[in-house]
Amino acid sequence: MIATLVVALAAQQPQQQPPAAPLRDSTPPEAYYGVTEWREARAKLEPLMDRSARGFTVYIIGDMEGLAAAVRNATEMRPPTRGGGQDHERFRVELTDETNALIAGAREAGATQFVVNDGHGGTLFRNTLPDRLDPEAILIRGYPKPIVMSTGLNPQLDAIFIVGAHANAGTPGIISHSFAFDSFTVNGRMLNEAGIAAFHGGELGVPLALASGDHVLTAETRAMLGPIEVVTTKLAMSRSAGAGFSPAHVHAELRAAAARAVRRVQSGELKPLRLAKPYQVRFCMRRSYDPWFVGQVRALQGLRQDGGERCFAYTSQSAEEIGDLLNRIEWIVLKP
Amino acid sequence: MRLILLLCFPMVLASQTVTVPTPPKLPPPTGFRVMIVPDMEGMGSAVDIHEVIAGNEGEQYRTLTSDDYWNRFRGLLTQEVNAVIVGARSAGAGSFVVNEGHGGNLFANVLPWDLDTAAILVRGFPKPLIMITGIDSSVGTLIFTGAHASAGMPGILSHNFAFDAFTVNGTKLNEVGINALIASEYGVAVSMVSGDDVLIRETREILGPDFVGVTTKYAVGRMAAITFSPARVRRMLEDSGQVAVARARRSAFKPYRLSKPYRVEFTLRRSYPETIVQGVDSLRWRGLEKTGDRAYRLTTSDARQMGYLLDAIERVVLH
Repeated sequence: MIATLVVALAAQQPQQQPPAAPLRDSTPPEAYYGVTEWREARAKLEPLMDRSARGFTVYIIGDMEGLAAAVRNATEMRPPTRGGGQDHERFRVELTDETNALIAGAREAGATQFVVNDGHGGTLFRNTLPDRLDPEAILIRGYPKPIVMSTGLNPQLDAIFIVGAHANAGTPGIISHSFAFDSFTVNGRMLNEAGIAAFHGGELGVPLALASGDHVLTAETRAMLGPIEVVTTKLAMSRSAGAGFSPAHVHAELRAAAARAVRRVQSGELKPLRLAKPYQVRFCMRRSYDPWFVGQVRALQGLRQDGGERCFAYTSQSAEEIGDLLNRIEWIVLKP
Repeated sequence: MRLILLLCFPMVLASQTVTVPTPPKLPPPTGFRVMIVPDMEGMGSAVDIHEVIAGNEGEQYRTLTSDDYWNRFRGLLTQEVNAVIVGARSAGAGSFVVNEGHGGNLFANVLPWDLDTAAILVRGFPKPLIMITGIDSSVGTLIFTGAHASAGMPGILSHNFAFDAFTVNGTKLNEVGINALIASEYGVAVSMVSGDDVLIRETREILGPDFVGVTTKYAVGRMAAITFSPARVRRMLEDSGQVAVARARRSAFKPYRLSKPYRVEFTLRRSYPETIVQGVDSLRWRGLEKTGDRAYRLTTSDARQMGYLLDAIERVVLH
């Protein structure tokens, strides 16, 4: 009785406790289905590919920062339910329309099948509108998914396009970044997100043939991969401002570039990116991440500390394994 | 926690006063009757919980919705059901009953104004034999769309009613299997099931290879999938609906049978708060034995009794 009274009184006192540490989920990536199962994803997608003699399958990665007119991360890149704004819905339409423009152009040049992989984390990889996308396309959506920006990549594909791409971390491009990194290199070669997809596809014999985004992205991707097709959607004025071409104009450019890209792959002019094995990977985690994230990354298997607290080295014979590692890191920083 | 308990008890007491429901009979069929049970997790394109939850289903669901997605997927759901009806009609079906099988918005997901006008739509909650309300021997064949794999399976939004495990006579049943068993009491067989690749594989292990399976997507995570366009999924549903009904009219499918009496064993989800377990205990359901912390057993010779128990448990959970 007295104990109850004491408890009741205590409950009326304002609590004088230090603010609680943020709740953080240190579930290992293997414990959550969909993070590490890249072999399974590839095995499920590969049998769906068009293997007929004239079959030509284009794998399109859809990101959003490089879309026509997009400039502002806070309102345009994520929906209100994930801390963003109403304009995101408008840019979902733009993403879908730009993807459709690529499909239309590639089809004109003889491409027969299209796999679209939603590659933007704003809505946890559910940005492309399923009912607005070309109805013949296969759409990979949702999160977590294995090797998030190149889920299911396989040797039956003929070309990779990336739409709405953004420039690398540390550059003056619009909303520039690269996964969770301040820098990422393979064999000393700096790669942006488009470059990482090209590296992954290259090992499977699939070239990255087209990239669209702001002028920083298109210039840097050509510098990394050679003279692939590019569409410059806008000129970056700062990380959150740009001079943009009309979306309608961009759609026409994308359509024409996609047709050229397919023809250049068919003629053997655009080749897969091949790097020497074993691959020597080096990366530094973003300075903006606090030590908890870096600690979680440090605990991943096979990483060596290299050149600073947040920098690591990794050696592998497989681009897919490297993709899996990146995905585990993405899971650490993206999971709620 | 205490507050939840207090709110919980009047509801539990109220549900005890409800007798086993005897629903009014649906009008007699005007032709071969098809009952369609649309769920949402296995429908085309859907991968995330925010796409299939309205947010009004109970406290734990309030933040699991996203209006832009929810509304879009209701529309797509309705079009999927329409596609099945078009296919079934072209195979000679003349009567359609659509029974909401998804708990989102408390079993009111299909848009009544956009649904094929020939259909009778059973919607709302609670309703008896929740996923196959209105079933009787006037139903010619049973079709499940948008179904999902059972709890613990590597499928999109996999779960099984309120359970981590559910078996009858030791056979693991998913939601389709549970409802197929109830339907067999009326001599009704399942002719078609749509959902992700994991659901289709799992359901074949339960019901056998005969039913027409439509793989709407391939799971690459619990909330990520390789998907086809809504238009392509509708085409598949229409084609398969036609094949399934044509075969059903030739009595090609057999009702799902297990030997009687049924030994029904289940475990409530470990993720539920203790109040849910207390709520189920407070049902004092006749014949329900508690065999473990969250484990129960019911032995019955009528699968409908199992269905009514599921109704009561859903009412404890969805408040």
